[in-house]
Amino acid sequence: MRDRFEIVGIRPQPEPSPKARAEGKRKKPVPALFLLGLIAAGCLACETIMTRDPSYMDLKNCNVPPGGQFFFGTDTMGRDIFSMIWYGGRVSLLIGIAGAAVSAFIGVIYGAASGWAPSWLDRLMMRSVEILLGVPDLLLLILLQAVLGEANVWTLSLVIGVTGWFGIAKVVRTEVRQIRDSEYVAAARCMGGGFFYVLVRHLLPNFVPSLMFMVVMNIRSGIAAESTLSFLGLGLPLSVVSWGSMLSLAEKALLTRSWWVILIPGIFLVTTLFCITSLGNELRKRGNRRESNL
Amino acid sequence: MDDKILLDAAHISHVFPLTKKIAVRAVDDVSFQIRKGEIFGLIGESGSGKSTIARCVMNLCRPDSGRILYRGIDIFDSKEFRANKSLLQKSRQIIFQDSNSSLNQRMKVCDIITEPMRISRMTPARGSYREEARTRMSHVGLDERYLDQYPSQLSGGQRQRVAIARALSAEPELLVADEPIASLDVPIQAQIANLFRRLQREHGFSVLFIGHDLAMARFLCDRIGVMVRGRMVESGPAGELFDDPRHPYTKALLSSIPIPDPIRERGRKVPEFREEEFSRDGEWEEISPQHFVLQQRRRGL
Amino acid sequence: MRESGRALWLGKKVWSFLVSLLVLSVVVFWVSRLAPGDPLVSYYGDRVQKMSPQERQWAQEKLGLDEPIPVQYLSWLRRGIQGDFGISYKYKTDALRVVRMRMGNTLVLGGLGFVLIFVLSILLGVFCAWHEDSLGDRIITGVGTVTSCIPEFWLSLVLILVFSVFLGWLPSSGAYSVEKGGGFSDRAIHLILPVTVVVISHLWYYAYMMRNKILEEVSMDYVLLARSKGLGRGKVLFCHCLPGALPSYLSMMAISVPHVMGGTYIVETVFSYPGLGTLAYESARYKDYNLLMLLSILSGAVVILCNMAAQAVNEKIDPRLKAREPAKDWEVRGL
Repeated sequence: MRDRFEIVGIRPQPEPSPKARAEGKRKKPVPALFLLGLIAAGCLACETIMTRDPSYMDLKNCNVPPGGQFFFGTDTMGRDIFSMIWYGGRVSLLIGIAGAAVSAFIGVIYGAASGWAPSWLDRLMMRSVEILLGVPDLLLLILLQAVLGEANVWTLSLVIGVTGWFGIAKVVRTEVRQIRDSEYVAAARCMGGGFFYVLVRHLLPNFVPSLMFMVVMNIRSGIAAESTLSFLGLGLPLSVVSWGSMLSLAEKALLTRSWWVILIPGIFLVTTLFCITSLGNELRKRGNRRESNL
Repeated sequence: MDDKILLDAAHISHVFPLTKKIAVRAVDDVSFQIRKGEIFGLIGESGSGKSTIARCVMNLCRPDSGRILYRGIDIFDSKEFRANKSLLQKSRQIIFQDSNSSLNQRMKVCDIITEPMRISRMTPARGSYREEARTRMSHVGLDERYLDQYPSQLSGGQRQRVAIARALSAEPELLVADEPIASLDVPIQAQIANLFRRLQREHGFSVLFIGHDLAMARFLCDRIGVMVRGRMVESGPAGELFDDPRHPYTKALLSSIPIPDPIRERGRKVPEFREEEFSRDGEWEEISPQHFVLQQRRRGL
Repeated sequence: MRESGRALWLGKKVWSFLVSLLVLSVVVFWVSRLAPGDPLVSYYGDRVQKMSPQERQWAQEKLGLDEPIPVQYLSWLRRGIQGDFGISYKYKTDALRVVRMRMGNTLVLGGLGFVLIFVLSILLGVFCAWHEDSLGDRIITGVGTVTSCIPEFWLSLVLILVFSVFLGWLPSSGAYSVEKGGGFSDRAIHLILPVTVVVISHLWYYAYMMRNKILEEVSMDYVLLARSKGLGRGKVLFCHCLPGALPSYLSMMAISVPHVMGGTYIVETVFSYPGLGTLAYESARYKDYNLLMLLSILSGAVVILCNMAAQAVNEKIDPRLKAREPAKDWEVRGL
């Protein structure tokens, strides 16, 4: 009686046809990637592109509108905007990336710790994050900036990173808590996997997609924060060329009606931010698709 | 006789605090033994504490009181546990009910199956881990073209086979199967149940099988324990328990199996098990060899 | 029973609100005192350079700056509880009065911006969800994504450049012009550009959220039921989907009050609009401690209140959130 059931082999399932796969492929943000690549390449190779020394003040040629001699014109201090764009872009992008790296580092560690901690400690840690979120970013930036003193590229990245890690920490913490209770982590622990084994094999791969999105968005907000701070006079000084410090001349430019001083760096800034945003959105969609496939 | 006992659980109790005032007695003074090479079934309705026992056996959860000896090792004694850590972790494996959440969605089948071997750093007997995974898959009747797929690309039955293959790849002596077939549909359940029997016969491991499907339990298990609300009320060899149930709950449970004959089914009288008549404390009594019943002390008597 | 439960709930909220504020005040107090820079400068201006050490000592004692930081904090706290937040070094008057003078302007700017964002984002979101994937939706989505990438300060600059410098239609700074004396129309004209910036730079974020919420709502089964009962599309959308999407949207709006507030601060600075933003900026830069503390506490209080409101709304919608840590949260022990 016991062997009346018969072991039935598993029926082969039809492979998904290539047509269905093509449908699954969605259009990628190619133009955005291309533009971003172009700007980044230009900034990296600024030495070969620049027509003039970006910090040289040509006092004979102040406020020259865009034209043959100066492609993008000169600013109120007689510096060549075309050269400054590429040279300063490098600084701006660097600050964005370094700031994001700092915040990712702090965020992942804090979030993972909070996720693994017993619930009272977790609640305490998350409550303190909420309080820090309560301070308006700008105020926090000003305060930190004041503590660290005169800004340079690295302190500014540090300040931006230190103010931007809360979101990452929250996301990481939620993911860790979710995965921690899942059965495959229990199974792995039964097999004898230690904390670091579980962290590397099971936790990291699971939150990397959502982390990627957050980090990309942090690069974006880092660049925006750099320009805002420098514009307000709290970031990089005029002598360090970046998109933000170029725009800090805007008030003078308004008086002299030199629109190019305001518009050109701003357009580069906005284009870069836009490209990074579409990249981030694509990453998020891809992450979501994975999830919904489960 | 005694040396054939693989796992000896004695007087396990566990309480889950729900709030500060309310607590659930999930497991209440449960004892059972599993011998080498036998399939021991725990059946009962959901919430009767079966899974908590499984978790305790796997060290996933520490009971408030009681003791579990595995091959003579007290698994809740941290000194003894540490001394025999790798043995304990290798030779006990668990299969969960929900194959969806017990497999990491971001790992390939081949990596999932060999995960226990990688963790315990076993040298693959068949050359490479991949080769090992292939062999395991053939054991559980999976085609090897699934080797590089993700769990989300497999069906529920296939996933459960992967979970079984993973558990078996460590060559366990005790396999804890926490409702391994409950989430599958009936034909697949039959497949998996058969697979279990076959594998058990080939490899000779012991199984703690947890389920609520009586027919399946009878088909699979050598001995069965019946649980109600955290208490074990009857245990005995599968055939005897089914033919001669003694405890009112077991009777009610067994009679709830429909008879595939409409005329007899209609005329059947189903004994009822009334919750209020059930008392938690009672004496164990051995009715016949290996067949134990929790004797009821009826109220008012 | 119910009454006492509610009182307990309220008490808990108030308690955690107060504790949060206290922690916040400690952090801001400590960080701001650590910062280099001389608070005397904001009180005495350039005269500080000519001061003798004795005079400095005397001035510091007068402002209570010579004591160790914890003592300073405690005395600040003691007076703060009685409603005395000290004097602003720069304005040489009660900090509370300075804030009260400026608060109206910020409330008008931020409040108007917030209301506009709220209304417009719902309209835009509903429109886009209604015409999902049509040309209009795609154009709005595209434009919206671009606008959400523009930093506030640059948008302000461009608007000033176009409307004040080149066209000369609108004033570029201040809350009212001195010669016209600040009548209603004068103030309104001065508000146009700042409010536009606040609205444009935040609008799409919320409109997009609304759009997705509605789309999520539309795909639910009850919509199918309503349609099969014979309700029109518009009726289902406005009578069923919109109310369904609103609560979670409200809570999102509440959480993002600090974003809008931060944006308002920057906009105020660019337009030299006399509000709390410019005040906060000045006070942080010139170490006007008392003013800075008051402003941080105020904005912190607003943010925490909004967070709590959002949480309350969420708990109303989804009671599961209340018991966030279920009993299932078993720990992996013994391994």
